[in-house]
Amino acid sequence: MTPDPMFQETEVQANRLGALMLFCSGLILLLILALTIAGVFPLKGKLMYSTTIQAIVEILILLVICKIVKNNAWWLKPLLLIGMIIVFARLDSMLTHKVAILMVLPVVFSSRYFSRKLTIFTSILTTVIFAASAFWGATHGLINLNIVTMPAGTEMIATGGFLGDAVQNAGASNEMLIRNTLLYDYFPKWLMFSIVSIISCNIARRGRSMVISQHEKDSKVARIESELNLASAIQADMLPNIFPPFPGRSEFDLYASMNPAKEVGGDFYDFFLIDDDHLCMVMADVSGKGVPAALFMMASKIILANNAMMGKSPAQILTDTNAAICANNREEMFVTVWLGILEISTGKLIASNAGHEYPVVKHGNGAFELLKDKHGFVIGGMEGAKYKDYELTLEHGSKLFLYTDGVPEATNAQTELFGVERMVEALNKDPSASPEQVLKNVHASVDEFVNEAEQFDDLTMLCLEYK
Amino acid sequence: MLNINKTIENGTATIFPEGRLDTVTAPELEKAMQEILPGLTTLVLDLEKLDYISSAGLRVLLSAQKAMNAQGSMKVCHVNETVMEIFDVTGFSDILTIE
Repeated sequence: MTPDPMFQETEVQANRLGALMLFCSGLILLLILALTIAGVFPLKGKLMYSTTIQAIVEILILLVICKIVKNNAWWLKPLLLIGMIIVFARLDSMLTHKVAILMVLPVVFSSRYFSRKLTIFTSILTTVIFAASAFWGATHGLINLNIVTMPAGTEMIATGGFLGDAVQNAGASNEMLIRNTLLYDYFPKWLMFSIVSIISCNIARRGRSMVISQHEKDSKVARIESELNLASAIQADMLPNIFPPFPGRSEFDLYASMNPAKEVGGDFYDFFLIDDDHLCMVMADVSGKGVPAALFMMASKIILANNAMMGKSPAQILTDTNAAICANNREEMFVTVWLGILEISTGKLIASNAGHEYPVVKHGNGAFELLKDKHGFVIGGMEGAKYKDYELTLEHGSKLFLYTDGVPEATNAQTELFGVERMVEALNKDPSASPEQVLKNVHASVDEFVNEAEQFDDLTMLCLEYK
Repeated sequence: MLNINKTIENGTATIFPEGRLDTVTAPELEKAMQEILPGLTTLVLDLEKLDYISSAGLRVLLSAQKAMNAQGSMKVCHVNETVMEIFDVTGFSDILTIE
């Protein structure tokens, strides 16, 4: 009888609901008891008291049991339902037609367990026990005049006592009262009850299938989530992420970081030595976000690096990468790329830009300034796109800052953009800082600007210092 | 938020995207484009009320441009400064017909 683990939680919740129902019933009984004592309800004193008090005691016992096992025991479900039926039937036997609605409560409640069998069981048990209570109530409970048939001409005289007594004194036989109660009271009530039972069975079955499908969806989401986390780790590992990257090289210092807005993103940076004297740096941004962008990013990164390692010029690398990507790009994804190759011995930097943001350069001891370089079209956008090289020289102490549009397009709660001006300002707060510190400064400025708004785009930056 | 208004007349369609064209809203425009593209000879994109365009939005423009190259022409008009800057930076100003 141990419940399916899938239904464990819902069963505990249902037990809790049952306890709450019993608690409310107990309160109502206390109220009835108080009103009876106060004389507002003119009921048959002694029997009423004992019935009500017994019901309250039963409820208390059930509640204590629920509390002890913290609503969590496989036998609590039948115990609660049987207890509930007995308590309600006891009240029904006393108050008869006044509390007709009590009959449906256990079966409605049972549907919360999402088990059709249990609801059918409850329905049958209710039928039997309430029949017994109707049988007993016919002669002991509140009388319903509609069921009393008397020989024509019978006179009943109110004596100030109870109606039931008057009826009995007038010669109504117990047999007649029981027969008529079962036929005129219980039977129509049971017919209506059976409709509620059918509806409850349906709710139970539907609830069950919903729990099962929800469980399936949850496990699917959990699987996708764990795959995404793994993908995120793989993506992060693909980028060079050990700093300082070239501990043996004192001619330059380099730092980079990537914070995707989702688990995986389409931004990337890359840097590697082509030979002893040439350092290649890449900053790129794939259109869109998430998994599609991440897949495209992986391919772009590898094609770019392979082309670069062949010793081509930046423009040639971009041209060849564009040709390779356009060959198989039915989804029309594209990537913006800034790629530069630094000749470490001389500081000569040759670069080419495929639709990427303007780089920011600080010459010597000067300030960071936006370099409005020439732009080619994005990579993957159009076959045969042409790219041009340009050249600049980095003096000692010069810095180069590369970024993706996530930085200038960081948006605050008022939907203002961070903008390139604020970014250059942030860079110039401490232009002589180390590359790592430069990135931290920009990141801090963006965070301060964005404040409470959610990070929407990837934040990717790279800073090179030529010493 | 993106509102898309469009008019179609004798094979000429004009689309007025209004708001922000980004990762979230780009699929809406893509869907609207796919619906009207068949049989179109001229496509006009009126960007007067477009506040912002992200790379995902540019991708939709690129797809439309490629589709229209094969069956007619496409032009973009009323481009504001912010959007024009993005077109310039990404090289889109070279492949789009901007008026």
